[in-house]
Amino acid sequence: MATIKCTKCGAPVEIEPGAKFVKCTYCDSQMYIDKSGAGFFYILDFKLDETSATGVFRRWAAGSVMAKNLDKEAKIFKAIPQYFPVYMFKRDVDGREVVYVEPAKSTSLPGMHSLKIPPGDIKIFDQHYKIPQHIQVIQPELDMLAYFNSLPGKPKEQALVYFPIWYMEYNYQGQIYNVVIDASSGEVFADRFPTRGSAPYMVVAVAGFVLYAIYGLVAWWNLMVGLIAMGITVPVIFGTGYLVAKKW
Amino acid sequence: MGDISLGISCPSCGGALKVEEGAKSVSCNYCNALIWLEGDEGIHTIMFANMVDRNKAIWLVQEWFRKGLKARDLKTAGAITEIFPLYLPFWRLNARAAGWVCGYRERQKYDSQGRPAGVEREYMERMVFRDFDWTYLACDPGDIGVKRLRNLYGQVIPANVTEVPTFEVTTSKTDALNMGIQNVQQMALQSANVQHITFQKIHVIPRQFMLVYYPVWLVRYKYQERVYFATIDGVLGKVIAGRAPGDPLYQSLIMTGGSVGGGLAAAAGVYLALTGISDELGILAIVGGVVLLIASYLFFRHGSEVVEGDIEAKYKGFSLKKAGEISSAMGGLKI
Repeated sequence: MATIKCTKCGAPVEIEPGAKFVKCTYCDSQMYIDKSGAGFFYILDFKLDETSATGVFRRWAAGSVMAKNLDKEAKIFKAIPQYFPVYMFKRDVDGREVVYVEPAKSTSLPGMHSLKIPPGDIKIFDQHYKIPQHIQVIQPELDMLAYFNSLPGKPKEQALVYFPIWYMEYNYQGQIYNVVIDASSGEVFADRFPTRGSAPYMVVAVAGFVLYAIYGLVAWWNLMVGLIAMGITVPVIFGTGYLVAKKW
Repeated sequence: MGDISLGISCPSCGGALKVEEGAKSVSCNYCNALIWLEGDEGIHTIMFANMVDRNKAIWLVQEWFRKGLKARDLKTAGAITEIFPLYLPFWRLNARAAGWVCGYRERQKYDSQGRPAGVEREYMERMVFRDFDWTYLACDPGDIGVKRLRNLYGQVIPANVTEVPTFEVTTSKTDALNMGIQNVQQMALQSANVQHITFQKIHVIPRQFMLVYYPVWLVRYKYQERVYFATIDGVLGKVIAGRAPGDPLYQSLIMTGGSVGGGLAAAAGVYLALTGISDELGILAIVGGVVLLIASYLFFRHGSEVVEGDIEAKYKGFSLKKAGEISSAMGGLKI
């Protein structure tokens, strides 16, 4: 936990990133936290371990637009936990609060171009915060000050935020794809992935529709014939549909 | 840490002040001086108590496994891997909308034999004067499935006293307020219920704008090596969002029903038009049949994962409401 000194009694007071006002636990006096003149380091916890992240990937890979059985056949050969850095600036522009999120590192990772800070419990990143050995911390390449001097308005707060991702590479039918999973909320980002066609689904839907439109008109000409044809066809459509949904 | 903390004391007597976040003015307990606060005064914040304990959360998810068009073996094969409470931040705007909406409604007229006889316009003048509530998530939605509050009431507890993870605000206060005002304007316009609007003037007066920290439980569960999730409202005690595996049986049942119903409706339409009973009804029946087909096809195609809550998805489960949306997109036919 990060602490500041109480302005009245000097006792250490713990602060949270979101707090504007804090109360000293010893002398009860209140303080205002002025973040406009300092650059903070924030970090989000990893909420997904490797097993969960792999499970989230498999859930995503089983989606309706991905290649059938991608969840079973994709071979993940790389799964790296990383902390990715972005800058967050809160500015006062003509009385309006504006939040800017800017890259602290240039990257081609999927999902990282539309910069954002995933939802999570943001912590102050100081010497008390321990990052496990196996997690890579990606160092910022771009300088906070470069942005700081070019942004409009007056500063309210500026921070370097490290958020947790799982970077994965997988192999499917000899092709290599990559995917990024936000390890705070479990959102999956991918630019390119093996897809599945809709043709068999279309065929079942259209064939059923056309057949029944014809049967309806046949029934108008001869009710018995129409009803018998309908009765015979229902299990066929259902069976084909079931097979397509299961296998395709 | 540099020197970033400022003591808040009374400028006239030096006594310690107690300032609520979001307050614009404060009165000194010692000398009764009224003090105006300047600078970033923050925002009024409330937090609701979580009324759901772990066991109840587990029970709620298991009940949810049984409901809807989810995989039939989910209740036995779905295993909860992680379950934790957390607080999500929401912007909440309570605003009064006041104004006038004028316009007209069109109605089909029929003559004494029931044949269509042109369109009649009924002019309308509606006053709007009521309060609206608008809420929106104050951080990135990620994959939690909640963007709006389903409920605005709960047992208020002092903010920042819990050990429970609390998601931080990462969006702008001003942007949220402006978005809220625009949304209230839209809601007010819809509440007037005027089909064709010719004139409108609605003022939105914000009455209260605050942050609500709302308790939820996030549950992750495993099914066939895949990890899905569900989000539980900690005040209402029900699952409000989530992802779950679908079932090919339901996909096929809906498709069969949709193609049979759609095909027969189309046949009825052709019959009505050919026999000269009513061309309009015939076209309506054909369009209705196609809409039913499309809606059931979408579930058939994308129902292998069922999605609930505020999540972007190809298709969120089969419902007539959805068929209605498709039909209005196709040309304004209401089912």
